[in-house]
Amino acid sequence: SEMSKDLLPGPYPRTPEERAAAAKKYNMRVEDYEPYPDDGFGYGDYPKLPNKSLHERDPWYQWDQPDLRHNWGQPMHWDFDMYVRNRVDTSPTPVPWHTMRNHFLAFLGTMLIMFVLGEFYPSYRPVGPKQYPFNDLYLERGGDPNKEPPVVTHYEI
Amino acid sequence: METILLLNTSMLLTLTIILTPTILPLTTPFKNSTSSITNAVKTAFLTSLIPMTMFFHSGTESIISNWEWKFIMNFKIPLSFKMDQYSLIFLPIALVVTWSILQFASWYMASEPHITKFFSYLLTFLTMMLLLITANNMFLLFIGWEGVGIMSFLLIGWWFARAEANTAALQAILYNRIGDIGLILSMAWLASTLNSWEIQQASSPTQTPTLPLLGLILAATGKSAQFGLHPWLPAAMEGPTPVSALLHSSTMVVAGIFLLIRSHPMLTNNPSALTLCLCLGALSTLFAATCALTQNDIKKIIAFSTSSQLGLMMVTIGLNLPQLAFFHISTHAFFKAMLFLCSGSIIHSLNGEQDIRKMGGLQKILPTTTSCLTIGNLALMGTPFLAGFYSKDLIIENLNTSYLNTWALALTLLATSFTATYSFRLTMLVQTGFNRTPPISPINENNPMILNPLTRLALGSIMAGLLISSLIPPTNTPPMTMPLPTKMAAIAVTAAGIILALELSNMTHSLTLPKQNPYINFSSSLGYFNPLAHRTNSSNLLYPGQKIATQLIDLSWYKKIGPEGLADLQQIPSKTSTSLHKGLIKTYLGTFALSTLIILATL
Repeated sequence: SEMSKDLLPGPYPRTPEERAAAAKKYNMRVEDYEPYPDDGFGYGDYPKLPNKSLHERDPWYQWDQPDLRHNWGQPMHWDFDMYVRNRVDTSPTPVPWHTMRNHFLAFLGTMLIMFVLGEFYPSYRPVGPKQYPFNDLYLERGGDPNKEPPVVTHYEI
Repeated sequence: METILLLNTSMLLTLTIILTPTILPLTTPFKNSTSSITNAVKTAFLTSLIPMTMFFHSGTESIISNWEWKFIMNFKIPLSFKMDQYSLIFLPIALVVTWSILQFASWYMASEPHITKFFSYLLTFLTMMLLLITANNMFLLFIGWEGVGIMSFLLIGWWFARAEANTAALQAILYNRIGDIGLILSMAWLASTLNSWEIQQASSPTQTPTLPLLGLILAATGKSAQFGLHPWLPAAMEGPTPVSALLHSSTMVVAGIFLLIRSHPMLTNNPSALTLCLCLGALSTLFAATCALTQNDIKKIIAFSTSSQLGLMMVTIGLNLPQLAFFHISTHAFFKAMLFLCSGSIIHSLNGEQDIRKMGGLQKILPTTTSCLTIGNLALMGTPFLAGFYSKDLIIENLNTSYLNTWALALTLLATSFTATYSFRLTMLVQTGFNRTPPISPINENNPMILNPLTRLALGSIMAGLLISSLIPPTNTPPMTMPLPTKMAAIAVTAAGIILALELSNMTHSLTLPKQNPYINFSSSLGYFNPLAHRTNSSNLLYPGQKIATQLIDLSWYKKIGPEGLADLQQIPSKTSTSLHKGLIKTYLGTFALSTLIILATL
């Protein structure tokens, strides 16, 4: 059978009595209960739980549902499918976020700049100077000694 | 004797023997068992030696086309297999590694209730991999490509009740999918430009456009865990050790490199694509080697080692040396699989301990395993005349004597020395020193199911390099003359890495605890890539996605298009028309008088 009308989510609570009734409905204490702000997005009286993923809940406690780290009757986050253990992890990192971001971008940036530099200064086997004949025996073949001999390249790197 | 007939027949027979344990239980009342599957793979390995020997003897290669899928009239999709040097050599190697791993897995997974399903998953993976290797057109290659991706998902998440294993399997699928975008892009370009998916058709005398090559490089980045799409490979260590040994060291991760080897006629003409491969490979190899320096889980160290060697193979592709890259794939398969099997033996003997800080002094307790671990590490470092030397030293020599990006050269040499460092650290912490394990688990090595695979792969690690390099003629002239420092460069950087490892171990033995500094943090947190990429991407996609789907589309637009919008539109005319019948006597008298006057006026 269906849930009774008083167990379903309802409209935004306006009076303190409505707040207390909504907190009791969601199995929460009145001090902890905080609904989403009433700005037309349709949340009603659903509680606004902290945006913490399930990774942060105690792994060793004997939960009723161990894979979801959730007890029966505990209010679930509106975006709980995002905070499941296969998805987003919001647990605190050992290193602060801005440090991580800066170090990583510094590493990546340094690598990219050095790669671009390496393109302009490539490494190759040092080739020796041109051996005899230097310029295809220009003078010996009757070339004009006063004119510039044409440049002859024997190899390309 | 008809050599080509024997080649084709024995190759097709190998593939059929592999399919037998999958097909036979469906048609006959035959039940699979671990020994039947292991024996099938062993028989297939022995059969595949025939075409390999024929290739060594006479250099026969062939392409056979069996059946054609007549789907579109002017586009051929045949079921064609290519037996060239790459597939003929890799097939026996993949089969001997798989046979050894299956033998090992019958001991390692002995307490597993669904062991037959595990073995059939491994066999399906092997079938897909062999399909990928022998494929002559992109369609069959794509079937094999996706097949190995799916089997990787199923095998990483083998212990599916574990949330971390599920996350790791999902990571593997997502990162491989991003690579698949590139592969499908290249396939579409090939189909539209060349009207064929055959690999022979793809070579052209002029420069190939960069776009399909970028697609192929993206596919290789995804499948072979190059930097940018790399986090799935260390996460894949959540799967059982036989899975890590087969998929994530020898066979599946080389599929990306193999794709680039197969399509090297297209890559040869395009220097910018080659430079991209070179730089990407150099970055991957250094990044993975840096991360491996501070890991403490034995499987993660070997996973990062795999990632680093894959970067080295990408560097070789970037040097336009596909044959050498394939050579490195072949030798790497042997010693990497052996390293994983040794680590599996150690883990089981220590009752599930994977942290090297809690191992030590295993040299006397597990002699065969630790000897094979030493051989594997030496082969990985490129010790002269073991298997890794023939491929790795040649790669370094070619690096030093080519015209290439200087920074790529520097990174690769640095990564080679880091390889020596972390391999040496692994050996020191696992095998030497005092025993740091709890003395409760009975440790023995008297099971032939462990010893036979390890010794077989150790033999392969020692002999494979020599055998392959002496029996296959190289396709391009290797650099013959170089100054002595260049020739000794590989050994010199390896020795430098070993000296660094010895220095560091001296420091730890004199009980100086390293303080937290940014470099140790960077290395042990894997370059901060994982939290930065995973948290930002998933939360930026999921949170707005939920908002758009629920608030924007469901609650706003669907209501406006349907019921509420219609209701609003209805309200406007109904508001204006109710004023006409609100029961106001004066208005009625007024309208009555007005209409009477109009009638009288027209008379």
